[in-house]
Amino acid sequence: MHEREKNRVQAYLDGKLSRRELLRDMSALGASAALTSTLIGLGSTRAFAAGFDAMQHKGTALKLLLNKHPYTDALLANLEAFKAMSGMEVTYDIFPEDVYFDKVTAALSSRSSEYDVFMTGAYMTWTYGPAGWITDLNEWIQDPDKTHPDYNWEDMLPGLRASTAWNGIPGGALGSADAKQWCIPWGYELNNVSYNGPMFEKAGVSPPGNMEELLETCAKLATDLEGVYPIGVRGSRSWATIHPGFLSGYSNFGERDLQVNEDGTLSAAMNTDGSKAFHRDWVKMIQDYGPKNWSTYTWYQVGTDLGAGASAMIFDADILGYFMNGGGNKEAGKISFAPFAANPAAEAPTPNVWVWSLSMSSFSQHQDAAWHFLQWATGVEHGLFGAQTMDFVNPVRQAVWDDDTFRARIDESYPGYLHQHDVSAPGAQIYFTAQPLFFDLTTEWAATLQKMVANEVPVDEGLDMLAESVNSQLADAGLR
Amino acid sequence: MQHQSTFERVLRGVLIALVLVFFMFPIVWILLMSFQTNEQILRIPPSLLFEPTLENYRALITGRLETHAGTLDIRFMQNLWNSLILSVFSVALALVLGVPAAYAFARFRFRLGEDIAFTLLSFRFAPPLLVLLPLTLYFQDLGLSDTYVGLVWVYQLICLPLILWIVRGYFEDMSPDIEHAYRTAGHGWLTTFRRISIPLTAPGIAAAGLLAFIFAWNNFIFALVLASADKQPVTVGALAFVTASGIQYGQIAAAIVLSITPTLALALYAQRYLVEGLSLGAVKG
Repeated sequence: MHEREKNRVQAYLDGKLSRRELLRDMSALGASAALTSTLIGLGSTRAFAAGFDAMQHKGTALKLLLNKHPYTDALLANLEAFKAMSGMEVTYDIFPEDVYFDKVTAALSSRSSEYDVFMTGAYMTWTYGPAGWITDLNEWIQDPDKTHPDYNWEDMLPGLRASTAWNGIPGGALGSADAKQWCIPWGYELNNVSYNGPMFEKAGVSPPGNMEELLETCAKLATDLEGVYPIGVRGSRSWATIHPGFLSGYSNFGERDLQVNEDGTLSAAMNTDGSKAFHRDWVKMIQDYGPKNWSTYTWYQVGTDLGAGASAMIFDADILGYFMNGGGNKEAGKISFAPFAANPAAEAPTPNVWVWSLSMSSFSQHQDAAWHFLQWATGVEHGLFGAQTMDFVNPVRQAVWDDDTFRARIDESYPGYLHQHDVSAPGAQIYFTAQPLFFDLTTEWAATLQKMVANEVPVDEGLDMLAESVNSQLADAGLR
Repeated sequence: MQHQSTFERVLRGVLIALVLVFFMFPIVWILLMSFQTNEQILRIPPSLLFEPTLENYRALITGRLETHAGTLDIRFMQNLWNSLILSVFSVALALVLGVPAAYAFARFRFRLGEDIAFTLLSFRFAPPLLVLLPLTLYFQDLGLSDTYVGLVWVYQLICLPLILWIVRGYFEDMSPDIEHAYRTAGHGWLTTFRRISIPLTAPGIAAAGLLAFIFAWNNFIFALVLASADKQPVTVGALAFVTASGIQYGQIAAAIVLSITPTLALALYAQRYLVEGLSLGAVKG
């Protein structure tokens, strides 16, 4: 049954067929898209099972806690393949992103053993890890009895491996030798410029490469395009306003959020001269060229405006531009991508990253089985499946980025995407200082930005006040 | 009856229309959105003219949403069903427990009576998360986690104080002489309660029940923390259309329309009781 379909899928996995040819052939054979995905998943999972006792946890039941996300869709599309390969039962709960982390926090803080594996962001593990809610995965990664010989941990992009490992000491360098691996990178986003190609063409401008060019490009777009604002960035009173484009540009000038002193204490570093200069440009950019109600802008508004043709570009997550280039968006197919190094003197972009990762609950009753699942879910085979056939981007493994089928798919429909990633990936990592007050301090930073944009406080004065407040909070927490 | 001039009638009509437009605009706009595709909704500038589609409702009801990115499974009808189960059973239980308790607090003076009543009211003061995290631990031990029974029990934190305190006021406003007269005729207090007190305060009980139903329907934090995805109410389910890859505005609008329909229908049906109940005792004779 399905032998001919299986042969076509195998040819695709072997690189003998393009994705388009596969879909055309499968369609001619009467196979649905769902069946095609399942067969690809089964084919790629066979590679994972080779040379390893894939059935060692047969009969064990795992439960996952997942966020409603395209990464989750890719996992679910391939989950049957894992169940067939491992003999394990895997159930899951999916919650909307808006309430997802409330659910995770409630489950972990109540020491619930209901969930074995869950999705998380690296920043969240700075709370979960020291609280003892999640497990240091180094124990499994380093154990040859529990880890597939071809798991190839080193294949994970180094910036992401480091970004998801922390020693738990406030100010401790991410990825240090004594760091604990709190989660495994699963999919990630870095921050560059996504822009509307036809709009740029109409205004006769090229994508900007640095902050100076960005302001010039915005000025031209503002003059030449009617009813469109030049650039979208986030602005709500939340940590999420600081971490994408803003911190990526900020870090490119070598600026930091906090200074780690010789005695291990921390102090605010956002009121240096360099920081003030960057803030002045950023505030001017929003005031002159940003959306009118910028202070309410989150991921959704920034993306929706680009997709609906209300903005000409965004300096935000590359995958936000990726998503807006598809779906039912008005501007689908018109979005292009470019690397952005805010500092003209910088050699390359230094994008801060958001890493959707998978963690193992400390309260799981089936940790070995959970690791078995984690290996598969973060392995090359599932990564290839998701990247080739679904929206499991950005991949976290070099092997997937090197895959011709994946590269051809992206190159065909997302102009400039591969280039912006290839140029930026070496410098892509978390640029925040890991410490327990992360969410409080970055939220206050966003609030200060709002005041600056609203002209309630001058940039220099605002940053001095912010630094004073940050220092006071660090002192109260015993970190200064 | 006072005579109104034409000017006054016109002015009154215009003012009423303005108020109606002001209050109804968001609901009407959402209703219109529910018949549009995402692309139509995000048009710049927005337009009132569009080719209506039932796709949003079809996707919600069949549980499958066809998008350019593929097919998404939607569990909205399950969410709606969960809301209905949780709200109906919670209010029913709260009425069974709360109405006799309200009567007791209104009619009898007993030791620590006011303290107990205030303690029940204080359930409404506590931040839900403060209560929920310890409750999660107990629920796990008792096997009540992720069960409808457990959730209906927790929903009493919303429904019971509301019903108890509102209905207590109605019982206090009702003259005890009527009950005394009935009891003098040889009836026991239970019969008096059933045959006299409850019928006389029925509009108030209905109003309290309706309010409790609306509060229970709008809650989302209890089920979010204490139950799995398959027992989540509409308040959580409607958020599923907001994803990293975009917001499905049309489905959200259709989900809002479907989720307010039961409470709206109930409120319209019980409008007479509601007005009567809420004004009961407002004027003392």
